[in-house]
Amino acid sequence: MHSLIRPNAWVALKLPSGSTKVLQIAPNTTISLGKYGAFPSNLVIGRPYHLTFELLDKLPDESFSRLRVVTTNELHADVFAEEAAPGCATPAAGANDTVISTTDGEEFSLVDEKGNVIARSNHEVLDENARQTLTQDEIEELKREGNNAGKDVIAKLLLSHTALDQKTSFSLAKYKLLKTKKYIRRFQVLPIDVANLAHWQLEERDASKILDLRAEMIGLVGSWGNVHFGGDDVLLPDPKAPTAAGDEACLPVDEDLLRGRWLVVDDTCGLLVAAMAERMGVLYDGEDPEMEKAEGQNGTTTAQTPAGLEKHQETRTSELIVPETTQKDSDTEMVDGPTNSLKRQNDGKPKQQKPRPSDFAIPYSQTNTITVIHSASQPNLSLLNYWGFDITSPNHPPHPLLNHLLNLSWLQLLKPELDTSYSTPPLTASPEVLASWKPSRRGNFHRKRRRYARIRHVVDSTRTGNFSGLVCASTMDPISILRHTLPLLAGGAPVAIYSPSVESLAALADCFSVPRRTAWVSGSVAETDGMSNEELERWEGNERFPLNPTLLQGVSIQTSRARRWQVLPGRTHPLMTERGGADGYVFTAWRAKPAEGKVAAKGKFKRRKVDSVDSEAATPAPA
Amino acid sequence: MSLNSYSPTMTPTTKAISPFLDPGPRTRANSLAILQLSRDNLLPVYLQSPTGNHDGYAEGAVVNTRYGSFPHSTMLNVPWGSQIRASKVDTGSRGRKRKREGADDACRDATAASEKDNEESPAVANEDSTAVKKAVADTSGFIHVLPPTPELWTTSLPHRTQVVYTPDYSYILHRIRARPGSVLIEAGAGSGSFTHASVRAVYNGYPAEGQRKGKVFSFEFHEQRYHKMKEELSGHGMDGLVHLTHRDVYNGGFLIDGNSPGADAVFLDLPAPWEALPHLSRRKPQPPFDVKTAASGDAEAEWVSPLNPKKSVHICTFSPCIEQVTRTVSAMRRLGWVDIDMVEIANRKLHTSRERVGLNLNFDRGVNNSARDVDEAIARLTEIECRFREHAAKPRDGDEDMDSADEDEPAPPTGRGATNNDEAPPVAEEASETAPWLEGRLITRGEPEIKTHTSYLVFAVLPMEWTEADEAAAAAKYPLGKEQKVIGAIDKVARKQERREQLQKQQGNGSRKARRKERDEKMGQAAA
Repeated sequence: MHSLIRPNAWVALKLPSGSTKVLQIAPNTTISLGKYGAFPSNLVIGRPYHLTFELLDKLPDESFSRLRVVTTNELHADVFAEEAAPGCATPAAGANDTVISTTDGEEFSLVDEKGNVIARSNHEVLDENARQTLTQDEIEELKREGNNAGKDVIAKLLLSHTALDQKTSFSLAKYKLLKTKKYIRRFQVLPIDVANLAHWQLEERDASKILDLRAEMIGLVGSWGNVHFGGDDVLLPDPKAPTAAGDEACLPVDEDLLRGRWLVVDDTCGLLVAAMAERMGVLYDGEDPEMEKAEGQNGTTTAQTPAGLEKHQETRTSELIVPETTQKDSDTEMVDGPTNSLKRQNDGKPKQQKPRPSDFAIPYSQTNTITVIHSASQPNLSLLNYWGFDITSPNHPPHPLLNHLLNLSWLQLLKPELDTSYSTPPLTASPEVLASWKPSRRGNFHRKRRRYARIRHVVDSTRTGNFSGLVCASTMDPISILRHTLPLLAGGAPVAIYSPSVESLAALADCFSVPRRTAWVSGSVAETDGMSNEELERWEGNERFPLNPTLLQGVSIQTSRARRWQVLPGRTHPLMTERGGADGYVFTAWRAKPAEGKVAAKGKFKRRKVDSVDSEAATPAPA
Repeated sequence: MSLNSYSPTMTPTTKAISPFLDPGPRTRANSLAILQLSRDNLLPVYLQSPTGNHDGYAEGAVVNTRYGSFPHSTMLNVPWGSQIRASKVDTGSRGRKRKREGADDACRDATAASEKDNEESPAVANEDSTAVKKAVADTSGFIHVLPPTPELWTTSLPHRTQVVYTPDYSYILHRIRARPGSVLIEAGAGSGSFTHASVRAVYNGYPAEGQRKGKVFSFEFHEQRYHKMKEELSGHGMDGLVHLTHRDVYNGGFLIDGNSPGADAVFLDLPAPWEALPHLSRRKPQPPFDVKTAASGDAEAEWVSPLNPKKSVHICTFSPCIEQVTRTVSAMRRLGWVDIDMVEIANRKLHTSRERVGLNLNFDRGVNNSARDVDEAIARLTEIECRFREHAAKPRDGDEDMDSADEDEPAPPTGRGATNNDEAPPVAEEASETAPWLEGRLITRGEPEIKTHTSYLVFAVLPMEWTEADEAAAAAKYPLGKEQKVIGAIDKVARKQERREQLQKQQGNGSRKARRKERDEKMGQAAA
């Protein structure tokens, strides 16, 4: 993924000012960078990511700027010049093998390539009036001429600064950087992955929309939630139910097939889901054409049921046509699962036409899935649009998330009988009646039946439980979330809950405090007497014990912060300012399976020897 | 693919999936489990099925902890996360029993008799050596048995070197884009903490013969560590997922039998990353960098890059000292890396507790018996003042005065004056109502000792190589001159004009359905 910039890909353009523009690069358009200029999109499509491009001056007979790839030597030229200067504290790596010496000096000077002193350090106080001699009009004029990607402007500005020769190398570097940021006409194309999109949302868009979820936190939540690829796809067979078949045509949930499933509560507009999907390898759709060619097909592909099938004609082909481009190759790379092998043309319609599956076929994989529980009737996963996935779209072009992202509301999870789409039995019709209907009515009929089968499957499989982990970033009270999700977790499954502030997590951790646990074990809750473990797991809690405190182990809260540094020869230090706001905290724990009946923990007594270890062990195990 | 990709010579492992990647629903024999003794006290154990007397224990293998003894048999085939009760295990006599091995019954009886007065379960002594004793539950304590994860492994692994902890590796793996299917180079395998985490990150199935799947190529210089690590990895079922090499990467580079691993991401935990960096180039580095390719002789003609030629490669180096960072960054700049960024991670764990302050609370540990607020302080002062006045009013009698003062002072305000009588009972009632674990204010505080510095993390990206020929091909494929509209930062007038056109178009083809269809098609294009 992300090797060359593909047509219509979402990308982030990083501008010299440090700001980022996120846009979809449509072929045959002009991309405008505001004051930095404009260029045709076809000049970056098909090129690699992370290159730095420079907008060239317009040729006399062309109306657009062409681009030039800036070499890295050019990008780092200033630093190289500094390193080459005598007296530089940190000489170029590889240039000589001298041990790094501390600078001997009070004197700093900046020397250009020819050895002329450009700036020096002295203790002369810079004249307050030492200013730029160019007027604003002159600068505007220079910009309009716009020569040499803004480098001329910067050079002229530097030259026209009357006190330039009195600046220290530090202030000169700062001044040059400031002017470069403002005038240099360069940009870099970055791929839209979770890290880049999250950074852009946090720094330039609405951080509150993603609950201030910083990169450190995305990493922590994913790691502590143990989110990873959950196994090769397992798809249920098509029940081949006739149109007259009703309820009973639904496939029962097979508990043994369900593996590698994660439960998510996401109020970050889908960023958390995207981060998890990335970790599970189901976020990115398709590869580069060359890579796609190299992709093999495996057995599961034939059982694949893309949700975009509504588009297909009802024609039934007796055999599957394997696209010519798909062939076995030693360099097979199946990053995104078998969906990739379905070839598409640019209009989004598959080349091959598969036999249409029955309405009760389940498109979801039984493994490697994300189950989103949402509080509204539809989940808000709008950020997934940047990866070409729209959960509200009924006729969706193939995307790995279609087979791996399940969603249900809290109502469907906890009181499915109150949910209309779950509890209304599916329509039935005999084939003759069906044939007599108008196509639109027939389409509706099938759509409703498909929806019924899917909701049944999602709700039933979720209620079966045995999830491999729970990951949360929600505005809801975590205690209430855990009350209903803890019973669904498999033993030993990790829980990772993100919150922008610590208070709600502290309240949650307090539910599992040692005194509360001890009180619970010693049987101070009368109403739970005689309950089996099964019942205790699903116990609704009371005021003194909002949750069963024995259901989680290793409860811990942590916070992480990345501090960024500037690394320049002789000027290495932490950045002066960084984004403040919510720190972000992560609650972690593991789902425990308490032993049946009372568990004593009186410690291990040795009868004869009485030593210090005894007194320690005599206290109840805090585990 | 032109990529000179590494093809494993081993046949694909038919072994079970690593317990780190899919532990299954229950604990299994001969598989790693993490025993949680207390919150931060974790013990990695390979569970063994009981096959008779083991190390002198009749129950088979036994784990002894301060919370009691736990025979493996009690921890096998239970759901993960299960709470395990301690068992009554004869730990005392096993040393003597081993010495006695092969002795006749008469001798055994004799020792059994002598054992009687110092052992609680002499019956154990008569156990047949091949039969496994059924464990008997004890009341000394319990533990939990957890499935292994890189996080648990990181806190419980045997330290061989400084460990890369979870706050660091979680951030690093996120930043270097280690995803299912990525190929990752790790140099300085060390204790294996990062290796386990990165295997989880890149895992997308065990590779079949000649298949490219997510994989970690790990390099370790230290021979003993290499062997230990090798053993550990096969024990954890990661043989097909990690390729461990014993090598000095400063001189030896990163190729596997002269072939490129085709790495998408690199993590260097080395004392001198700048020595290893030249090997991680797309082309043979220029003179200042001396790449010792002694292995392949005349490397001039055939420079094989260990990197994936079709992608930008992300790197992270992990160095504790700032001097290492400046040299690394300087080398990176000269070797063509861009987006160089240095950060350090500060992680803090927080403990929650109840802060209990008040005059009316009991004298438990952790209770601060001072006034909770100004009102309580005033009430107490008033009370003392009242008492003082009462005393002053009383006829003087030296000794008695002293005694009663001593008695009164520490007593809680259970009511002496009329004012206190009204106040005291509700306070007492309230105290009895709230459960002790609900008393006080909920607070969070940092752990007693924090790691203030682990290492500096330097991140950088090496873009794909882009030649004139590539550019010409791309230019031919995407010709210019058909630009229709402007996207991005366009001025107000242009945007308004566009909006107007869009509206007209929408009114033209009307219905919602059409718009939706249009959008779907657009998405189809985007996905294509």
